[in-house]
Amino acid sequence: MIIIKPKTEFVVTVEAELTPDLAEKDVEEIKKFKVYYGKDVVELEELFEVTKEGDDKKLVLDGDFSRVKWIGCRMSDGEIVVKGNVGANCGAYMAGGKIVIEGDADDWLGAEMKDGEIVVKGNAANLVGCAYYGEATGMSGGKITIEGNAGNYIGEKMAGGEIEIKGNAGDFIGTEMKGGAITIHGNCGFVGGDMKAGEIKIGGDFELVPTFVKQEDAWVGDVNVKGEGVVRRL
Amino acid sequence: MHHALHIKNGIVIDPKNGVKAEKMDIFVKDGKIVEESEVKGEDVKVIDASNKLVVAGGVDMHAHIAGSKINTGRTMRPEEMRVVRNIANKFRAAVGRVLLTSPAIGYEYAKMGYTSSFEAAQPPIGAMHSHEELDAIPMIDKAALPVFGNWHFVFKYVEAKDIEKLKTFIAWALERTKGFGVKVVNPGGVEAWMYGGNVTSLDDQVPGFNVTPREIITSLIKAVEELKLNHSVHIHCNRLGVPGNYETTIETIKLAGGFSNDARQVLHVTHVQFNAYAGDSWRTVSSGAEEIAKTVNSMDNVTIDMGQPIFGHATAMTGDAPFQFTLHKLTGARWSNKDSEVEGGAGIVPLVYLPKNPVHALQWAIGLELGLLIDSDKVVLTTDYPNGGPFTEYPYVMAMLMSKKMREGELEKVSPFVQKATNLPAIDTEKTLEEIIHMTRSLPARILGLPQKGHLGVGADADIAIYDLNPLEIDTSNDFEKVYKTFKTAEYTIKSGRILAKNGELVDEYWGKTYWVDATGRVDMEAIKPDIEDYFKYYSVELQNYGVEEGWLKKPERIVI
Repeated sequence: MIIIKPKTEFVVTVEAELTPDLAEKDVEEIKKFKVYYGKDVVELEELFEVTKEGDDKKLVLDGDFSRVKWIGCRMSDGEIVVKGNVGANCGAYMAGGKIVIEGDADDWLGAEMKDGEIVVKGNAANLVGCAYYGEATGMSGGKITIEGNAGNYIGEKMAGGEIEIKGNAGDFIGTEMKGGAITIHGNCGFVGGDMKAGEIKIGGDFELVPTFVKQEDAWVGDVNVKGEGVVRRL
Repeated sequence: MHHALHIKNGIVIDPKNGVKAEKMDIFVKDGKIVEESEVKGEDVKVIDASNKLVVAGGVDMHAHIAGSKINTGRTMRPEEMRVVRNIANKFRAAVGRVLLTSPAIGYEYAKMGYTSSFEAAQPPIGAMHSHEELDAIPMIDKAALPVFGNWHFVFKYVEAKDIEKLKTFIAWALERTKGFGVKVVNPGGVEAWMYGGNVTSLDDQVPGFNVTPREIITSLIKAVEELKLNHSVHIHCNRLGVPGNYETTIETIKLAGGFSNDARQVLHVTHVQFNAYAGDSWRTVSSGAEEIAKTVNSMDNVTIDMGQPIFGHATAMTGDAPFQFTLHKLTGARWSNKDSEVEGGAGIVPLVYLPKNPVHALQWAIGLELGLLIDSDKVVLTTDYPNGGPFTEYPYVMAMLMSKKMREGELEKVSPFVQKATNLPAIDTEKTLEEIIHMTRSLPARILGLPQKGHLGVGADADIAIYDLNPLEIDTSNDFEKVYKTFKTAEYTIKSGRILAKNGELVDEYWGKTYWVDATGRVDMEAIKPDIEDYFKYYSVELQNYGVEEGWLKKPERIVI
């Protein structure tokens, strides 16, 4: 297990593709891991205190990581625990393993993730499980659970996997969705624009785009794109 | 820095000068290839090229590398910009998957041993933008071909059968746009698109004008030949991308009959793969390559380039706006339309060529059929970058044309549709290394009318590529993997006598020339002045603000006719 603590408050954002694979390295080697601090490439130990305890494949990020981007990017196994907030693109392209965020997550949480699990104890910002601009497919597998609220654009172009939001969410839920499932226990804004397939379940109030057809216990659409996505009450 | 180079003991292939894999030395001084005696007493850098292939730098005669189309493509495809090719250091930051940024275009050509590239469709009103972008491409020499096939002036003079004024107008337009030659894209069809339509044959009337595509093409050939421009008419045929279009392509090719030029072809038909479909729908589509090849081979005044698709990502961008709309409807992908006032238009649609898709596999096979069936002296290797895919995959096409074994392997990976819809599996032809070098160097240089390019004779530009491949030993039929790998990365790329890249690493940055053709001395510019002033009432810019001054270009090279 590796424990990483920020040494200072960061003036500019840090881009650090920290994955549990680091825990398999020697502590001196980990300290030399290259990260971006603004436009400068620096070694991990210039910005963080690094300690190693035991050999399990786990990173504990202890402190405020809200200005640290790309944590867990492309990770495929092991575990990351963030004892605080985390910056943008956390768990992007993730293919396996688990990330637990005890605070809040910023934009692009689990963007284009393929497998694995992300749990956020606080709130998440926008673009959860989305496709990066221009790409055809967002999240395609795995599970994202958000205990609090989430922002706009949830599961855009999502093709598989599951997003569960225990609180409320913003607008544009499941836009251009092609598969997978989104569950929102609270309220949310516009749902299902250009949805082709998949399922969205909502516990509270929501606004459906008008191009869905009412069926017995659900709405099916978006007919604009000959979609067969399903929106239903939880 | 050394002013002189001595490339020692290389095995030279130089088709223009009849050198077929001979061990010889090449001498370079002040950016030119010179006799040995010229470098005596100079500070000469010696490059040992023992057992290595020494050829002229590659010439890409048809690619879309600058201008509003490619820039719109970049804007609408952020996903293309996530491949980092160079982080800013001694060289510029360069990114791009297939759609590259301007510096990346120059760097990737240089790494591959290519030293010249021609922007194949410049919207005249966007000339300033095209040149700004060409000026942002390092390493290579370049030029742009403005589009004439849908310009109202051209229609007007063709309608009036006034070849003298048409010639004058061409000279005026080339001077104003700092253009190199006459490109024609879907003549009449893009004008029809302004009314939501297209033309369906060479004899359709263009809306609003009493002219047909046939008349536009023949008049432009006549005008270009009378002006004696370096390059002939360069045409993107009507009905591109439509099953059954190969007949229109053959009819277009035959329009060159009756014209002749001692130095070069009188008509270059570009990315013919997209215009070589038989059948009457996408269900019954098949290859029309054989018929086209027969026609091209039977004529001595027409050349073509392949427009070979490469499996993977591409971006369709042409001045053929109606075709781009059809493609958008066909694939459902994003679409952008461009209108360049009374001059023409363009469209952009992202594309992926998939080997298992029957139509894509057919396109891939047709490109190769054209490359194999047409005389090596008449077909140039292109991918119509980025329409068919990246120019960085030219080595794949080179290796495929030289090896039936490689083609057999690749045929197993593609849709079985090609087995019945094309003759590719039955073609035994294997091009020789000399032929491939000709198709990528000396032939495009001849077609463009640039005697200083594409060869290693004394007086030529010292644009040289050295590859770690011994042409006397290589078995191109069987060692196709080595051929592919070798041509991907030149051991040395030398541009105007400067070593720019070494084994895929950039070592020096160089800003190439922009060629433009000045034919104004051959015509009486006063003759069309009233017409131009009249038409500019309908332009969104004033006449005095239209065009590009030579001084605005980084390194203009004026060719006076």
